[in-house]
Amino acid sequence: MDTLVEIQDVTKVINGRTIIDSVSFEVKKGEVFGFLGPNGAGKTTTIRMLVGLISITSGDIKVLGSSISTDFEKAVSQIGAIVENPEMYKFLTGYQNLIHYARMSKGVTKEKIDETVELVGLVDRIHDKVRTYSLGMRQRLGLAQCLLHDPQILILDEPTNGLDPAGIREIRDHLRMLARERGMAVIVSSHLLSEMEMMCDRIGIIQNGKLIDVQHISDFVQGKEKVYEAEVDDPAKAQRLLKNKYPELPVQITENRMLLPLVRDSIPEMIKDFVQADIKIFAVREVTKTLEDRFLEVTEYKGGAEHDRTDSK
Amino acid sequence: MTGLIQNEWMKVFRRPGTYVMIGLLLIMTTVAGAFIKYQESGGTVPDNAEWKRGLQTQNESYKKQLEEMGETVPRDMKEQYQREIALNEYRILHDISPNEEYSVWGFVSDTSQLIEFAGLFTIIIAGGIVASEFSWGTIKLLLIRPLKRVKILGAKYITVILFGLMLLAVLFGYSALLGGLLFGFPEKAVPYLYYYNGTVEEQSMGFHLIAYYGLKSINMLMLATMAFMISAVFRNSSLAIGLSLFLMFMGGQVTRLIAMKYDWAKYSLFANTDLLQYFEGVPMVQGMTLGFSIIMIAVYFLLFQALAFYVFNKRDVSA
Ligand SMILES: Nc1ncnc2c1ncn2[C@@H]1O[C@H](COP(=O)(O)OP(=O)(O)OP(=O)(O)O)[C@@H](O)[C@H]1O
Ligand SMILES: [Mg+2]
Repeated sequence: MDTLVEIQDVTKVINGRTIIDSVSFEVKKGEVFGFLGPNGAGKTTTIRMLVGLISITSGDIKVLGSSISTDFEKAVSQIGAIVENPEMYKFLTGYQNLIHYARMSKGVTKEKIDETVELVGLVDRIHDKVRTYSLGMRQRLGLAQCLLHDPQILILDEPTNGLDPAGIREIRDHLRMLARERGMAVIVSSHLLSEMEMMCDRIGIIQNGKLIDVQHISDFVQGKEKVYEAEVDDPAKAQRLLKNKYPELPVQITENRMLLPLVRDSIPEMIKDFVQADIKIFAVREVTKTLEDRFLEVTEYKGGAEHDRTDSK
Repeated sequence: MTGLIQNEWMKVFRRPGTYVMIGLLLIMTTVAGAFIKYQESGGTVPDNAEWKRGLQTQNESYKKQLEEMGETVPRDMKEQYQREIALNEYRILHDISPNEEYSVWGFVSDTSQLIEFAGLFTIIIAGGIVASEFSWGTIKLLLIRPLKRVKILGAKYITVILFGLMLLAVLFGYSALLGGLLFGFPEKAVPYLYYYNGTVEEQSMGFHLIAYYGLKSINMLMLATMAFMISAVFRNSSLAIGLSLFLMFMGGQVTRLIAMKYDWAKYSLFANTDLLQYFEGVPMVQGMTLGFSIIMIAVYFLLFQALAFYVFNKRDVSA
C-alpha cells in the first residue's frame, strides 16, 4: 500500500509553549486512521497544520510527496477537510455554499455537485438556507464540501460530534466506504472511543502534544498478552498455588474472582492444577478489553499500576 | 480570479443589509430631489440682464479688500479672492451668465454630497469582508482550497472596490435620472469653468461631473482601503468600521486644525485625499501640489495593502 500522508517529526510552538512535540506518523491509501486523545491533547492543532491553516514550527508534512508548507496549493488540492465544526455561510443555501467551494477548485462540474449532494443524502434540503439546517445536516453538507474536488485524502476533526447514533453510524459507513471503494486515506480525530473502534484501521494516541502510540486497532485493543478471569470458591488458595508455579505473575483478587494475565496455552494446565487442589472452578473466561479501557490505561496510567479493574465489559 | 470575485459578490448580495444600503441611498436622493423641487417652485432665478455689472462691482470690492488688508490678508483668503476675480472676468469676457436655470446638472452636483454615505456603506462592507469570515468560522474552509491566500484576499479587495464603484454609479445614474425628470435638461449646454494654476478653462458639464465624482470618491476609497486593512490585520469588523468612520468624519477637521499651526500636516492622509482643493479651492497647506498629493495617496495605499497582505498571509488561523 502506498503512503499518501507523511507527518515527519512535526513540532508546533505557540507563544513559547510546545503544543505539538515531534509527532510522526503516516497514513496509507485505503486506510482509516484514528487520531485519539483527551481534550486539549493537540488533535485539532495537528489537523490545522495538516491542512496548512497554521504554520509548522519544525518538521514537515508531505501530501503525496508535496510539502504542505512549501508547495501548499499542490498538497492541499488532494485534501478535503473539516476542522472542528463545519461552519458554512448560514445566509446561503446549501447548494450556494457548494457552488462557492466548487469555484475555488479546478474542474468541479455541476454534475459533480449534484452527485455529491446525492451521496451525502441532502437532496431534499439542499436549496434551503443553511440557517435552517440541523447539526446533522450541517455535518452532511460539510462532508459534501470535502468531497467535491475528489480528493485522495479526507481529514475530519470529530466528525461525529453532536450526532445521534443513527447519524454516527451513517458517517462511519460513509468513511469506510470511501476508504474501501475509493481508496481514500481518511484521518479522523475523536475522543469518542467506542466510535474509533468500529471505524478505524489504525489508531494514534496523542496526549499533551506527544504521539504515544500508533497501533492496529486489533493489536491495540488486545495488547500482547490476554487477561483471563477465573471464578473460584477459594481465591486465596488458588493464588498460593499459582504463586508457586509462576512467582512473577501479578495476580489480582476480588471477592471470588481472580484476574490472570496469561498466555492461552497455559490455561488447561492451570485448570488441572486447580482441580487437583480441590478448588472449585465456576468459570474461566477471556477478558476482552474495550478501547476505552486501553485508552485510559495508555493515557492516564501509562507506566503506573497494572490493570486494576474488576469488571469486564 | 473571476470565480473568487463572483463568490465574494454573492456573499455581499445574499445578505439583506446590502439592499438596505442601496435602498437608503436611493431614498436619500429622492428626498433631496423632492425637497429641492419644492423650494424651487417658489420662484425661478431672476433673469438679471445686469449680471455683467454685478460681477464687475463684486470684483472691484474684492480688489479693494485685498488692497486694504495688504500684507495681513490670510493666504487662503487671498487665493480664494483671486480665483473669484479670475472666474468673474472670464464670464464677462466670454459672455457666460452665472444665472443659469437649476437643471439636472445642478442636482447631480448637489447629490454628490451623498458620496459620503456611499463611502460609509463601502467602509461597512470593507470592514466586514475579512473579519466576518473569522467570526463566522468560515475562514477555515475558505483557506484550505488550492489557492494562494494572496489571491483570496485580492479578490476580496477587488470586490470592495467594485462595490464602492457600484454605489457611486447607482448614485450618479439615479441622480441624473431623477434630476432629468424633475428639473429637465438645460436648453443650451453651459460649460463648467474651473481655475487651475492661475488660468480659467472651460469644460463640458457631463465630463466635469464625472471627474467631480471621481475626485470626491478618492477619500471614500482610501478609507475603505484602510477599513479593509484593519479588518484583515485585526480580524475585527467593529474596530475596522468604527475607526474608519471616525476618521472619515473627523480626519479632515483635525488635519485642518493641525495645518493651521504645523506644516507637517501635509503628510496626513486627509490633507491629500481631497484633490478638488487644487481645482476649486485652496490647498490645505501652502506649497502642496497635485503631484505631491497623488504621491502621498499612493504611499498610503501601498502601506495599507502591504500590511493587509503581509499579516493575512502569515497568520495562523485558529479561529
Ligand atoms: N492559538 C493557540 N494559542 C495558544 N494555545 C493554543 C492555541 N491553539 C491551541 N492551543 C493549546 O493547544 C492545546 C491543544 O489544543 P487542541 O485544540 O489541538 O486540542 P484537541 O486535541 O483538539 O482538543 P479537543 O478534544 O478539546 O478538541 C491546548 O492546550 C490548547 O490550549
Ligand atoms: Mg479539537
